[in-house]
Amino acid sequence: MEFPAALFPSYFGAGPPREEGGPAPLAGWGEHGQVLEGGPGRRQVQPAFVPRRGATGERWEAADAAAVPVLLPSAGCWIPSPAPQDILYRSSLCRKLRAGKSGATLDFAKQLGHFFVDHPEDAFGSLGRLLHKNFYLGNSKLKRPARNSTIRMTALVEDIDRLEARRGCPRHHLASRLRWFSHLCRDWLFEVPLGLLADCLHEELMEQWSNLLFDDSLTGGALAWLPPEDEGTPVGRLVHPGGQAMNHLYFQDVVLEELPRTRGSPAQFELSGRVRQVAAARVDGQDFVGVRSDYHCGVWRVPGRTGAAPAPLQVIRTDVPASCLTVSPHLPGELSVCTQSGTIYLWSVETGLQQLRHDPETMFFRDHSPWRWSDFTAHPRVLSCADRTGLQCLDARAPKKCHFDLFKVGEEAGCQQGERVVLPMYLGRAHPSQYLVTTQFSVYVLDERLPLVPVLKWAHMMKAPPLFAHLTPGHPGRTHKVLLGASRTQELLLLQYRGKRSSSESACQLAGTPQKLHSIAGCLQHLPTQLPHRHHLLRQRLAAPAAGLAATLQEDGPHKSMLIFQLSEAGDVFCQRLTHKAAQPSAPPSRDEATTAPGSSPLFEAPASSPQGSGATALRYRRWLRALSRACREPPRHTWPPSLSQRRLFTRKDLEGPAGPSSLQRQMRQRLRQTMQEGGRIQRWEPSVLQPPPLPQGLELAGGLDSLSARLTAAWAGDWEQWWEERTSFSVAQRQQALRERRRRQKRAQGRRSLSASFTSSLTYQSELSELSDTGPSLLSPGRPPILSQEGSPPAGSPPVRSPPTSPAPDEALLSSQSLRCRGIPKERRKTLRDYLSVWAEGPPEPPEPPGSQASQLCIPSSQSQLSSASQPRRKRPRMGF
Amino acid sequence: SSHEHKLNFKKSKEACLSYIQDALLQKQWNRAAEFLTCYVESLEKDYSREHIGPSEMIWRIGTEILWHHSQSSMKDFNCFMEQMKTLGVKRYLKVCLEHVFHLLCNGQIDEAYQSLSLAESWRFGEQTAIQDKEMKLIQAYRGLLDFYSWSKQKNILLEHSEDGFSDLAVEQEMHSCFRKAAVNLKEIIKIPGVWDLFVKCYVDLLEFYGDHNEARQVLNEYAYNSKFPANPNAHVYLYQFLKRQGESKKSLISALKILHDIVPSHELMIDFNTMLQKSKKRKKRRLGLEVIFAALDYAGWKENAKAWSCLARQVKQIVISDKHLDWIKQEWNSRKDWWPAFHFSRYLAKRNWQENKSLSYEKALVAGILLGKDCKYFKYVSHQGCKAQLKRFRMLKKFVNRHNPVCLRICG
Repeated sequence: MEFPAALFPSYFGAGPPREEGGPAPLAGWGEHGQVLEGGPGRRQVQPAFVPRRGATGERWEAADAAAVPVLLPSAGCWIPSPAPQDILYRSSLCRKLRAGKSGATLDFAKQLGHFFVDHPEDAFGSLGRLLHKNFYLGNSKLKRPARNSTIRMTALVEDIDRLEARRGCPRHHLASRLRWFSHLCRDWLFEVPLGLLADCLHEELMEQWSNLLFDDSLTGGALAWLPPEDEGTPVGRLVHPGGQAMNHLYFQDVVLEELPRTRGSPAQFELSGRVRQVAAARVDGQDFVGVRSDYHCGVWRVPGRTGAAPAPLQVIRTDVPASCLTVSPHLPGELSVCTQSGTIYLWSVETGLQQLRHDPETMFFRDHSPWRWSDFTAHPRVLSCADRTGLQCLDARAPKKCHFDLFKVGEEAGCQQGERVVLPMYLGRAHPSQYLVTTQFSVYVLDERLPLVPVLKWAHMMKAPPLFAHLTPGHPGRTHKVLLGASRTQELLLLQYRGKRSSSESACQLAGTPQKLHSIAGCLQHLPTQLPHRHHLLRQRLAAPAAGLAATLQEDGPHKSMLIFQLSEAGDVFCQRLTHKAAQPSAPPSRDEATTAPGSSPLFEAPASSPQGSGATALRYRRWLRALSRACREPPRHTWPPSLSQRRLFTRKDLEGPAGPSSLQRQMRQRLRQTMQEGGRIQRWEPSVLQPPPLPQGLELAGGLDSLSARLTAAWAGDWEQWWEERTSFSVAQRQQALRERRRRQKRAQGRRSLSASFTSSLTYQSELSELSDTGPSLLSPGRPPILSQEGSPPAGSPPVRSPPTSPAPDEALLSSQSLRCRGIPKERRKTLRDYLSVWAEGPPEPPEPPGSQASQLCIPSSQSQLSSASQPRRKRPRMGF
Repeated sequence: SSHEHKLNFKKSKEACLSYIQDALLQKQWNRAAEFLTCYVESLEKDYSREHIGPSEMIWRIGTEILWHHSQSSMKDFNCFMEQMKTLGVKRYLKVCLEHVFHLLCNGQIDEAYQSLSLAESWRFGEQTAIQDKEMKLIQAYRGLLDFYSWSKQKNILLEHSEDGFSDLAVEQEMHSCFRKAAVNLKEIIKIPGVWDLFVKCYVDLLEFYGDHNEARQVLNEYAYNSKFPANPNAHVYLYQFLKRQGESKKSLISALKILHDIVPSHELMIDFNTMLQKSKKRKKRRLGLEVIFAALDYAGWKENAKAWSCLARQVKQIVISDKHLDWIKQEWNSRKDWWPAFHFSRYLAKRNWQENKSLSYEKALVAGILLGKDCKYFKYVSHQGCKAQLKRFRMLKKFVNRHNPVCLRICG
């Protein structure tokens, strides 16, 4: 590849950036930048000039009014990541979002409160038990002898309520009683030392908040398109993550028709972490797909011919989260890996890992971000490595000696103050020595033969930094297309640039104007009107941050079109088609200049021009919506009234015990049956005749018991109070040490996954969701009151257990631990009741779905447990950091 | 209250801008223009301290719309630009420069020249560093246009002199153009930067008037001054100048050696290799081998038949003479773990054979020598060649089989 004979003029300075920084909303418009004489030769009478920006580009127009779903939503609902309102102090939300990281007020007290309410046992368990007798919760006055050792808590609770009511009042001050109480027991009431707990929580909150501001773990994107080997067949393969925890990797065949459609069921792999990045490159007719999660990176080989199964090749584990994985376009089975500790490896499937650099410091100036990136260059042994301050190239054969600076955030490239590298990408498929670098303000094209001086620079004006980029190289004489994608705002921008004029190499120029493409959220206005709560759910789903980007060029004779796939964090893949228009002298005002009203979309009106296509689009949307509402109904609902069979309460084994039911069992069962018939509830479970169960012997024999087992054993034996005496002799320092150790271990095990893990709760989340998605008829139809049947046959004349609810989901309200407590149900019985009620709400289990493409996804409980694979599945709402 | 009013005004300004942005990004120029007329109001209360104020926005948006709007004309554009120049003193030079660029791209050289002259005479208080740079650029571009009129007159003069008579007026005009161009071009190329166009023109001028020393000094400065970026073109210009001057092989080689050091993948490396191969000195021939090996390391050279034939020729020579096999061995040592997969895979053998037979011939020769007769690439190509009854390939097979022991020595 030749070097351009002349480059556009530019000044070259060294040192830190001089231009004042800040997002400039429209800085990319109206500038040619520079001009260069680009005529055929100097012998001409008039020299011809070409601009650096503003030359005409190709015309690409969106074929549809919105992006269209490619895949049906997978079963099991998506768990949204935390939103700012979850962790920010309420009133300062809007203001602080703009103010940035330091200005935000995290709602620390709320989170701590959540913990105390949701995990009372963990927070106050032992002392709660000890003080049980001394706290009185009734309304009546205490009598003389009791008053010596008991305090009445009702007044305290009233004070707390009053305090809550006066929130925001400028003149409110703490009630003295509350202050007195908190002063008195702050040091000893808590199971976990309060200071330590607060430290951990605060640390976690800060991490969550910085992730919310800018989550760089998604850099590169988790979507890849493997084009067919010969361009004749229109079947390619989409590689994308899925599942509730995004920990499944799918290789899905996709047929490129008017609307791309899936073919067959995908090859599927379950991974042990959330998929952050999917990178692919084709070498020697085979695709190599690299997959990065926080602590694991894997590589698959996909043979070029269609239908061949992808083969996993190798997996590596890292101690520190990996931040980058790129696949070599030159040599089969070579990848580069970066970790957040500043280490860069060349990873070859055959020879293993070779460490190229280890430097926790950033390259050109100090920056706190541990993010590192690496990619390949024109030379297969030379890799680029990047941090937020710039890019260097280093030779893998002598990484310490041979390196040069490719890009510096500084005056060399005309950067602004505060500018940082967001995503570097090797543009080898367009030009072997070109490189793309995006920052939050601009996009640069670099030529490694002329380092430090960008051959192209343009302010992209995107609202969020572009984390994803995709290159579609153009044939000689045509423009190269670069797609930039942002995560949080789902922005998609199409740029065109040209590096070649006629036959000879020429300086890079931007061609045409940048073009905004449809985002996933943009299709909401075209969808049929929904019920408000469904609309809310749908909006939340569609507005999920983007997680990946892929594109492919489709040439069908003179018709050229580009298909662009966008992945969202919810696992949805949407696609849009751009069609190439040959240059026309004057463009008629395009259709979309007229604004479209919600609900009255061309997608659903099926205009005469393309009735078939639009009809298919509408159908695709309907199917997707239907599948979504089916997937999000949790737990699965049925059209028939729920009935509860007694069999479901006990397993077959329980019922068919070898000795037959004992008299006690019979008695219990009869009582249960009676209660169920009456529609009442069992106030005291154990009858007075209940014998204490025999003590389990094995536990006492076990040697080194952990504290929980020890406590339980003590409780079983009845000498629990003595155990407590022993335990209090433990020094606080020892406990703190143990807790710190545990916390560290957990953090290491969970790492960033804790973000999703701590916010995913099985039970409470679903109940929240079903409150929203709940529709009366599907759960309990008013016409047919639910009947609690015994052995399947409804007893005639028996009153219905519940009348059809006017307010949705009373059982969810029943299930929450607070409400159970309010009803005076002792703690140890709440779970029983909860289980009882949840069985009642679930109805008979759904028969296993016929083996469709997502059949394995139906197994909800197991996939939820994968969310927090390090710990056991949780039933309560785990709040942050726990 | 007035405070609230200000806030609302700010908010509506922002909203308006976002509408404009949206329209621009969807190429809805009409819609953008309508919003822009509303946005002009924001000039009235321009208290903003952002580094891009409303007046700059209007300039940028307006320019963009006028570039693309189907009904805009050059006259509208010029008119708009004149207004924009008066809108902000700080931006005057920048707007002038952009206006000139647009005129140049539309072939209105004379108007551009006038505009440049006007901008050059503009004075307003003390200039900032950026304005200083912009002024220098304006002067440089004026110098460039002077150069073009100089070269036009030169051509007229040359034609006339062929006809046998000289035109004094044209000649004088030409000299005055030269003086104006030289002064301005000389100024800008002193400042660190990428000035390919200006340097080339200035050197052209100097060469025409026979000032070769000055030209050489300028080119040396442009190539070797460490304050300038490592621009490969600077070295190329110097090399071409030396070649035009008929300099010795030695100085040409030393110029190219430096280019090789900074850009081993430059296309001149083939010339460099040929030059070195012809040399009598062993050291230089050795360098030639290094150069061609290094060039073929790069992905852009993978299918360069010329480069492969250079390498094949040199390797063949060495093998036949049976001297300096250690050269090949040394070069091969650092490549033997990745060249086979990078260049000599079976997949590539198939593809090269289909697409370019002579490339596959050269590559097969190199593969046969470096990797032996059992190498996949060599086996596939020689097999196909023999099957196709091509004499060249039969010879190749014989040659490699005969020299197989050599290969073992290289590998070992």
